[in-house]
Amino acid sequence: MKVTPKKTCLIVDDSKMIRRVAARILRDLKIEPSEAGDGREAINMCRSSMPDAILLDWNMPVMDGLEFLKTLRKEPGGSEPIVVFCTAERDVMKIAEALDAGADEYVMKPFDSDIIESKFFEAGFV
Amino acid sequence: MSGVLSLQPSYYEALKRLTLELAGVKLGEDHTFLIETRLSALARKEGFENLSDMIDQLFSRGQTRLAIHVVSALLERSARFFNDRKGYDVLGETLLPALHPLYRGGQLRILSFGCSSGQEVYSTAILADQMKDVFPGMQIEVTGVDYPSLALERAKEGRFTHFEVQRGLPIRYLIEYFDRVGEDWVVKESLRSRIRFLDHNLLSGIEDMETYQIVMFRGSLSQYSPPAIVRIMRNLSRLIARNGYLMLGSDETLGEMNFGFNEAPVAPGCYLKVGKDNSGSQEDVSEASRPAKTSQYKDYSAA
Repeated sequence: MKVTPKKTCLIVDDSKMIRRVAARILRDLKIEPSEAGDGREAINMCRSSMPDAILLDWNMPVMDGLEFLKTLRKEPGGSEPIVVFCTAERDVMKIAEALDAGADEYVMKPFDSDIIESKFFEAGFV
Repeated sequence: MSGVLSLQPSYYEALKRLTLELAGVKLGEDHTFLIETRLSALARKEGFENLSDMIDQLFSRGQTRLAIHVVSALLERSARFFNDRKGYDVLGETLLPALHPLYRGGQLRILSFGCSSGQEVYSTAILADQMKDVFPGMQIEVTGVDYPSLALERAKEGRFTHFEVQRGLPIRYLIEYFDRVGEDWVVKESLRSRIRFLDHNLLSGIEDMETYQIVMFRGSLSQYSPPAIVRIMRNLSRLIARNGYLMLGSDETLGEMNFGFNEAPVAPGCYLKVGKDNSGSQEDVSEASRPAKTSQYKDYSAA
């Protein structure tokens, strides 16, 4: 029997606790999570293996979420992953800026599993 | 579980009877905890010291207003935007195209029957706005009706928490149709102005209500008792104009009774009104209003 590989999602957040919570939610959705603590680490991971989706924080040291997204979209294969911003930023202008930069969906913290599932559904991922 | 419950057991039975009598809804055995949590919140809002005080007053004085609020709180659904997405696909791809030839140059009215806190009403209005260029000349007005309740008051305000707007509402619609006000999100007046809300007992007579071309009554059929279903369906049949549509949930059916609707759904959960209406409309039951099944019926069986 052919086994369909699990979809993968890279969680990019400087908070280890947020990464753990998000990873647990993604596993419940049958999505295989991986983790990066900032944008620079995330770009290196994407160059090594492009994930199917990325759950992306905005404010991070080294390289923030917006800079990461702009860089990602220029990478070979970088237009493929579905990117869901997951941030405490709730300003409408910030949300519009994220969408203009190539985000597919947007989660405002705090979140729960229902919201994550709903947003991945909106983005056409589950 | 009894350790966390505060009401006398006899009150649970009395509340279940009250809900059945007033709304035709049969609460299950597993609703005991729900009764506690929902009614405790209502008791606080109504200014009672605790839940027991409110229930004592309800059954000792028989206040109608309080009884309606209690039942409404018990029946409040955890609503989300664009819930049962297939229904919105059917609305946009099958029903509105079928009705457009009849209502071009006029107004098409859609009713959300049992609208709770309004997510279905606002989702429908958003869909209509998104498709306004596809159906030129057809104005779509959306109305929500439900028992008077705190949920309906929230619906009228069009104010939602940041958790609520993240359940089912695409982010692009959030920034297009909502303004951020403090910690909440409020529907913009440009959308709000095309929406009406009505307080009405869903089981009582509907003689004073106008007719609608589409009535949405989705996802709650199973909670009603058989006599209540018959009563509601008769009311809905009268509320829907000839050539109009009843939208149930995409996995719900009318069963053996058709109440003036065609026997086979034109799309999942969707029935065409083929009998008389009480609107005095002289519109013909023309083929123009029937969706072309071969080209527009979307097969969801594989979904």
